[in-house]
Amino acid sequence: MSATGTATATGSGGGEWAVETHGLTKRFEDNIAVNDVELLVPRGCAFGYLGPNGAGKTTLIRVLLGLTHADAGTMFLLGHSVPRHRDVALARVGAIVDEPRFHGHLTGRQNLQILAAAREPAAKRRVDPALERVGILHRADDKVSKYSMGMRQRLGVAACLLGDPQLLILDEPMNGLDPAGMLDMRDMILSLVAEGRTVVLSSHLLDEVERTCDAVAIVDRGKVIRQGPISKLLAGSSFEVQVECSDPDRAGDLLTATPFGAHVQTGAEGLAISLPEGTDRDAIADINRLLVEGGISVFRLQHIQASLESWFLEVTKRLGEAE
Amino acid sequence: MTTVTEVGAPSPSPAPIRAEPRGDHRGSWIPSRGMVTTRCMELRRRRGLMIALIAVNIGIPVVFLGVRLISHAVDPKSYGPAGGYSIFTTLVTGFMYVFGFVVAAVVGCTAGSVDLTEGMFRHLVITGRSRLALYFARIPAGLAIVIAMVAVGYTIVCAVCVFAAPTQLNYDGVNVPVGLSQPALDSWAAAHADEVICDFNFHGGAGLNGPPPNVTCGGQSIGPPPGTVIQTKGGGTFTVPAAESPAQIRAFAVTVANQDYADYHSNFLVPSTTLMVEVGLWIALEATIGFMVGLGLSSLMGQRTVAVILLIVLELILTPIFSRHVISHLLNVQRGIVGVAMAHIEPGGLPTPFSGGGGGGPGANPLIPESTLASSLVIVGWIVFWTAIGAWRMRTRDA
Repeated sequence: MSATGTATATGSGGGEWAVETHGLTKRFEDNIAVNDVELLVPRGCAFGYLGPNGAGKTTLIRVLLGLTHADAGTMFLLGHSVPRHRDVALARVGAIVDEPRFHGHLTGRQNLQILAAAREPAAKRRVDPALERVGILHRADDKVSKYSMGMRQRLGVAACLLGDPQLLILDEPMNGLDPAGMLDMRDMILSLVAEGRTVVLSSHLLDEVERTCDAVAIVDRGKVIRQGPISKLLAGSSFEVQVECSDPDRAGDLLTATPFGAHVQTGAEGLAISLPEGTDRDAIADINRLLVEGGISVFRLQHIQASLESWFLEVTKRLGEAE
Repeated sequence: MTTVTEVGAPSPSPAPIRAEPRGDHRGSWIPSRGMVTTRCMELRRRRGLMIALIAVNIGIPVVFLGVRLISHAVDPKSYGPAGGYSIFTTLVTGFMYVFGFVVAAVVGCTAGSVDLTEGMFRHLVITGRSRLALYFARIPAGLAIVIAMVAVGYTIVCAVCVFAAPTQLNYDGVNVPVGLSQPALDSWAAAHADEVICDFNFHGGAGLNGPPPNVTCGGQSIGPPPGTVIQTKGGGTFTVPAAESPAQIRAFAVTVANQDYADYHSNFLVPSTTLMVEVGLWIALEATIGFMVGLGLSSLMGQRTVAVILLIVLELILTPIFSRHVISHLLNVQRGIVGVAMAHIEPGGLPTPFSGGGGGGPGANPLIPESTLASSLVIVGWIVFWTAIGAWRMRTRDA
């Protein structure tokens, strides 16, 4: 691996990015799980790492954390070259990978004591505050075998906090949580970001990621295909307008005949009009005017805000069609 | 496929870059004291494992000695003393040596595999701590438990064998002076002929010209009644006389005493302090080997059950076979078995292990030949090899 990144390869800990990878590749025989990944995660934000099942999300995280080796490429965590300065980099990283599992015969506190002992001496003092922060201090002396899945997730987050991390990497942290637990987890992630920490959230729950994250990367078949702030990415998606009117069929004909470049679909809730990327709000008024002047009564006309989910499906569908 | 790389910096106030944690040597292969103590705590909290460890190392010797103490106290004529040399050697070579290895191996296999099977290995690797340090922390933690258990069990055995050894030997129900030489025991037997004939074990056969004399023991006559015609081995006949002469009775008693001298002698002896210290170290070394091999093998395999089975097969089946039966083409392989090497360095004065504590008897095969230097190298080699294998696998394993 060659050190060609923009971070300091000597491991000084500086750098603009919390995570930086260049050409990162991981193969399992013929299967390329991580394919030439170029990933830049800014410091101090919540960053979503999205992809369908089997896209290579967890494998990338495992490579970043040194749980498995990379076949090619360079990577930096908090500006430290990994794996060369892995010990220094991981000193300020906390992570949950896959389902968090612990020694079932020990209590939550004892499990954290084992992990704290592997970190710096100050980590021992963070055990109880970490348990309190994730809301399981009252169950700290119960055996982990008696914990629910949601409590183990919380214990996993507590384990992450032992190192006073600047970067947290959470792989599907909402798994097994009930709605209240998901809300708590979301609040906790936001509070961690508010403290200036970076949180990388790997998930397939797009709605949760949209509510929690500032920026995302989309991975498909091991390759990062889009990344950036959510607002910018959604701004680049098509402009959707929903219309309920007296004559949908004629309205559709009118709209397709105009130079709007509209793609019209008729459904149970009326017309779904899809306009090209970059269309501004004036288009709504233009549509209304066109229909009224054409003698069609308009009952409802609504701009549909693009969601991360619709954008994700649009992008992955487009990629599928291209291949 | 288009890749958009326009990544902004959404947060205006990223966290200040913190200094490296103080007092942190996580790149070092030397584990911290905290790592060792927490690892020890993790093993100690395994209730099933600890029960097995205590039962084998402490419980079974205590029960065995306790039963003997009670039996001897209740019926000293039928049951020998609880302590003494022979009990010591029987317990040490027949039980503590072999099962101490097996239990230590189980602890080693547990220490080497549970982080992986219970999902903690990944958490530990993510701390950034050297994987070697994670591995080496298991060694003092596991040995602290294993050696402590062995020491407690062995101390109990030594204490009973020393303090419960008889000061006046009640041998087969007869009070016999302690520490007699064989001629002295013969003289004593001649002087107490009826007691010897009535109460000492009589094995028949060699050195005797006829059946036991017809004497009265506890109001009952033993031996064939006078006038009985007995077929001898040579094909002739022998007629039991109406009454044996005192000389015949004394001669018979001396012969019986001679037969029982070895047993009498071993019952009387107390293991010496030197022997007890040497045997203690020998058993501790055997337990250490069991732990280290178990740790390395289970780290290599990534699981406990198969590793434990392999080590039990090695200790209970392969080692006894290979220690006594020379297979000419495999002689050096046989010498390379750690149990064989350990048998070669056993302290003098003990019966050879793998022979049921009795030295294998006069017809048993001797141990295959091996020098002390070669035995020592084999033992060191096993410890170093399995430690290196386990550490290597720990370093290279995907978490």
